[in-house]
Formats: sequence, C-alpha cells, structure tokens
Amino acid sequence: MSGALIELHDVSRIYDLGHVQVAALQGVDLEVEEGEFLAIVGPSGSGKSTMMNILGCLDRPTGGTYSLAGTPIAELDDDGLARLRSRTIGFVFQSYNLLPRTSALENVATPLLYQGVSRKDRLARAQVALERLGLGDRISHIPTELSGGQQQRVAIARALVTEPALLLADEPTGNLDSASGAEVMTLLTQLNAAGRTIVMITHDAEVASRARRQVHVRDGRLVA
Amino acid sequence: MRATELVRLALSRLGSSRLRAALTMLGVIIGVASVVSLVAVGQGATSGITKQLQGLGTNLLTVNPGATTTGFTRGAAGSANTLTIEDAQAIAALDGVAAVEPEISTSQFVVAGTENTTTSIIGTTSGYTTVRNFDVWQGATLNQAAVDARLHEAVLGATTADDLGLTASSIGSTITIGGLPFRVVGILQAKGSTGPVSQDDQILVPYTTVQDEFVPGDKLRTIGISVASAGQIDTVKAEITTLLETRHDIAIGGTDDFTIADQAQLLTTVGGVSDLLTLLLAGIASISLLVGGIGIMNIMLVSVRERTREIGIRKAVGARGRDILAQFLVEALVLSVLGGIFGIILGVAVSYLIGSLAGWGFVFSPVTPLVAVLFSLLVGVVFGVWPARQAARLDPIVALRYE
Ligand SMILES: Nc1ncnc2c1ncn2[C@@H]1O[C@H](COP(=O)(O)OP(=O)(O)OP(=O)(O)O)[C@@H](O)[C@H]1O
Ligand SMILES: [Mg+2]
Repeated sequence: MSGALIELHDVSRIYDLGHVQVAALQGVDLEVEEGEFLAIVGPSGSGKSTMMNILGCLDRPTGGTYSLAGTPIAELDDDGLARLRSRTIGFVFQSYNLLPRTSALENVATPLLYQGVSRKDRLARAQVALERLGLGDRISHIPTELSGGQQQRVAIARALVTEPALLLADEPTGNLDSASGAEVMTLLTQLNAAGRTIVMITHDAEVASRARRQVHVRDGRLVA
Repeated sequence: MRATELVRLALSRLGSSRLRAALTMLGVIIGVASVVSLVAVGQGATSGITKQLQGLGTNLLTVNPGATTTGFTRGAAGSANTLTIEDAQAIAALDGVAAVEPEISTSQFVVAGTENTTTSIIGTTSGYTTVRNFDVWQGATLNQAAVDARLHEAVLGATTADDLGLTASSIGSTITIGGLPFRVVGILQAKGSTGPVSQDDQILVPYTTVQDEFVPGDKLRTIGISVASAGQIDTVKAEITTLLETRHDIAIGGTDDFTIADQAQLLTTVGGVSDLLTLLLAGIASISLLVGGIGIMNIMLVSVRERTREIGIRKAVGARGRDILAQFLVEALVLSVLGGIFGIILGVAVSYLIGSLAGWGFVFSPVTPLVAVLFSLLVGVVFGVWPARQAARLDPIVALRYE
C-alpha cells in the first residue's frame, strides 16, 4: 500500500451516447493524502459530479486506474464496490438525500445496517453521531420536520457514523442559506482538523477557499 | 442482512402506508379465504355424505334376489324371489362374515292407543341392528328366542315411535300391526335421514312372525351382511357368489339369480366425485389468489418507481444489490403472508358458518391453511421477485438523480 488514500492515474470517463462520445473526464491525475481537505472547483458541466461519482465508487472510470485506500477499483465487482463504499466512504449530497418518512436516528443508523451491526449498537452509535452534531434533541424528527441546515447536519452525521476514511461532499452548502452554509463549513473544517480526510465539490470560490487545497476542473480536465 | 432486520424494515414501510398495504393484502385475503372455505365446503360435503352412507352399515353387503332371464327378456332385479333363510344361514357360516340378517318386508297399518300410522314392517333377526348399524335407545332389540318362538314382538324406529306417541315408558305395552297385537320390546336410536327414505320410520319384528301373519312362504327380500373388515369385502363377495351359485344350481357362466351390492364401492364412487368437486372449487378459488398476487406485483412495481431515490441513497451508503433485492422481496412476502394469515382466519370463519348452516358441522383440516400459507408465500416470491430485481439493478447514480 502506497501512501495516498486516493490515487487517480490518467482517469477518464467517457459517456457513449451512440452517435457521439462525451468525455466528462479526461486524463485526470490526482492524489489525496490522508488528513487532507481538498476542494474540487469548476463551473457547471465541467465534470465535478462525474469525478465525485468515481471517487465515491458509485461509477467506474472508462480509462485509467483508481485506487482507494490501496484497493484498485478495477479488481472489484459491484458487491465489492458496495462493501468499499460501506466501509471507506461517507457521502454528503447537495440535496441531503435523507430517507423520507424516516426519523433522523434511523437515517443515521442506516449505513450501519449494511455493515451488519446489531440494531441496538446501530441506534446507540447513531445517537452519539447526532449528539456530536448538536442534534441530540431532534433524533425522532423526520426530514420534513427539520430545517435545511438541520437536514444537512443529519446527512453529515450519517456520513460519519461508520467512521469512514473519506468524507465526500458534493455541493454541501448548495441548498443552504449563508448562515446554515457557514455552519456546515465550520463543521467540515472542525472535522478535518480532527483528522478526517475530506473531498468537497463546489462551484463557489468562497466555499472552496475554506479547504486547505483546491484543484480546478474545466471541460473534464484538471487545470492548475 | 438478517431476516428479522428485513421483516422489521418491511413492517415499518407497510405501516407508513397502511391503507395501501391493506388494499393490496385484500386481494390475497380474498383469494386465500376462498381457497380455504371452498375446500372446507367440499370436504364438509364429502364427509357429510360419507357419514350418511356409513350410517347405513359398516362394511355392508346386501344380497338381493334378481336378474332372471325369461326368453330374451331380463327380469328386473327382485322379480324372481329365490333367496331363502337357508341361504342366509349358509352365508353366516362363511369366513369373514361378522353378522347376517334376513329381511322380509311388508307395509301395514299400525295402531297404538289413539295414534295410528302406516309404515314398513321389516321381518328380520337379532342381526339387523348390528348389520344396519342401529343403536337401541330403549328396551332391547329382537332376540333369537323371539325369532324361534315366532313371537309377536316389535322394535320401533325412532320416527315411528314418535308418530305413535310412544316413549321410554311404553316398553312392554301392546300395539296392533295389521290388526294383530304386538308387544313393544324396544325403540331404536334415531339415525337422521339418509336420502328420501327415512331409516327411522320402520318396525322390526321376527321374520318368522312376518311369514306366519303377512307374507306366506320362505322367500326373503334381502340378506344384509356385515363383513368383518373392509379388506375382506372383495373376498367375502366372491365367496357368497360361489356359495349361492352352488346352492341355486347355477352353471358356470350362467346368469345369477341374485345381485350383491357393495357399500364400499358406492362410498368410493361418491368420495371420488366429491373429491373432484373439491379440487374444482379449489382451482376456481386459486384464480382469485392469482389475481391477488398480480395486485402485489403491481403495487411493488409502483413502489420501486416511487422509491427510486431511496434505493439510490441506500446503495450510496453501502447496500449491495442483494440487500435491495431482499428488502423488496421481503416486503412482498410480508404482504402476501399477512394476507394469507388474515385470509385463513376469514376462510375458517366462513367455512364454520357454512358448515353449521348446512348441518355437516365444521370440518377443519390443518393441511388447508398450511397449503394456503405456502401458496401465498409462493405468490409473494413469484410476484415479488421481478419488482425486487428491478430495484436491485438500479444504477445508484441514476437513482440518486431521479426526481
Ligand atoms: N449520464 C450521462 N450521459 C451523457 N453525458 C453525461 C452524463 N452525465 C454527465 N454527462 C456529461 O458530462 C459532463 C460533466 O457532467 P457533470 O454532471 O459531471 O458536471 P458538473 O461539473 O457536476 O456540473 P454541475 O455543476 O452543473 O453539477 C457534462 O457535459 C454532462 O453533459
Ligand atoms: Mg454536479
């Protein structure tokens, strides 16, 4: 196992639409060390979400190699990818993506379900994760009973409950007002200070400036 | 994922859309309930008929005179009266014969005090109650001494006794049959009706007395035989045929002047017909179960569609395809099995109701609900697996982007 948590080498993602081929990513080389806070910045349509999907093992590159925590993705089948996601990655989405009609506690406990953790332990760990994010008094609320900022904090609690090596955030502040957005950014900064590796995607330069390193994407390529 | 987790997940999901779950289950409930109740109705009817037939006598064979040929015209059964009491006695001596009763019958006007009736008088022996499966309610049945001494003694069927206003205290009293005095020695237990002719409306008297007073000669109308065990019926039947052919000097290959009717044969035939009927009813009911299953599939497909985003989220947080498959399959199974259980309860209630209305009582066979549950499980799997596979195969990226 070499040092870096994330190693992309000459990665491309080409969508084959039959008549045309769309290169959403092309020749991407990137290394992310453990403990980094990286922002991937770029305009709309530049390939940020495509990058996020590949980093998050939701999608596979069509060219190049990607190793996460020393594991080359190409060697894994779909179940293997699911297992890697379950153990290594926590997702935070722009649109929160909480399970509807499901309490904050059950939402946060869900990733542990797929790790085979017993129900008692799941709920206990979810409770701890929610309390850490200051939502101890909201555990039985369902998403529609929470503000956007609270929902995003529940989503972050869910991403952290498995203690993943990598936290992936796609526009985590995109749907939030500036106050809630700042709150979430403070949270991410604190998490990184505590040692968590974070890769964040954003088109907002100010948000990106909170990260310790930035890479820019343009037309599917990393620039500067 | 463990089964309990999956069931919990399914129950909480179904609990959050109760009306939909209930309506979906209704299809299975109706299907299972109709299978259970129609099979119970079929089985109830079968056992009712069987019981009535068995009430006529256990392992019963009846020998009737008949089938003589005059020229080219075959006479109706009974047209030649060839059976005698000696035939009956010879049959009684055969192996495997438990009891024998000869019968001569006549219809007579009967008077008891101020009441009167016209009923059939059966001249027979003490064997009658054994062979024909009667219990004595009061007093005693005919005995051999009365037959030998040609006594004027009578044993009354329950209905006849009732018609004549005779009760337990009437044992020993005198009635007149065809103008002649007879002493009442017993009253039989009622059997209930078996077809158009009630077995409870008759009077038993010694056959010797009937020969003396009403039907001169030594010919019998019927010989009833109780075979010791069901397995021996065919052997005994063959023995009787050989015996009577010898006694009646019928050449090998000649036409018998008697016929032997077999209760078991009738039972098998009737049983076969009503089993077929039961199967037919079950088949028709299964169609509604099938429709219920299609209802489940429909709802599950809608559900996969509606919950595409949920599926994407679950996959993003670590669910494998098979976890999603299991989740949706178990949901379909919970729907169908819960429907099955409610259906059984409803079906049992309905069959109980029909059974008590029709009078054959409540026949509960534990096999039916078991089969119904297995069947509804099967319905759940068959109709749940396709939607579940669709859910499991969703691409997480597409699913997450789905609005
Ligand atoms: N499933 C797909 N099929 C074909 N082309 C696609 C597909 N997904 C993305 N693309 C293309 O790939 C390119 C990059 O898309 P991507 O979603 O990664 O952009 P993005 O940087 O996330 O943009 P935004 O900031 O608007 O979310 C776009 O040109 C897009 O049209
Ligand atoms: Mg995007």
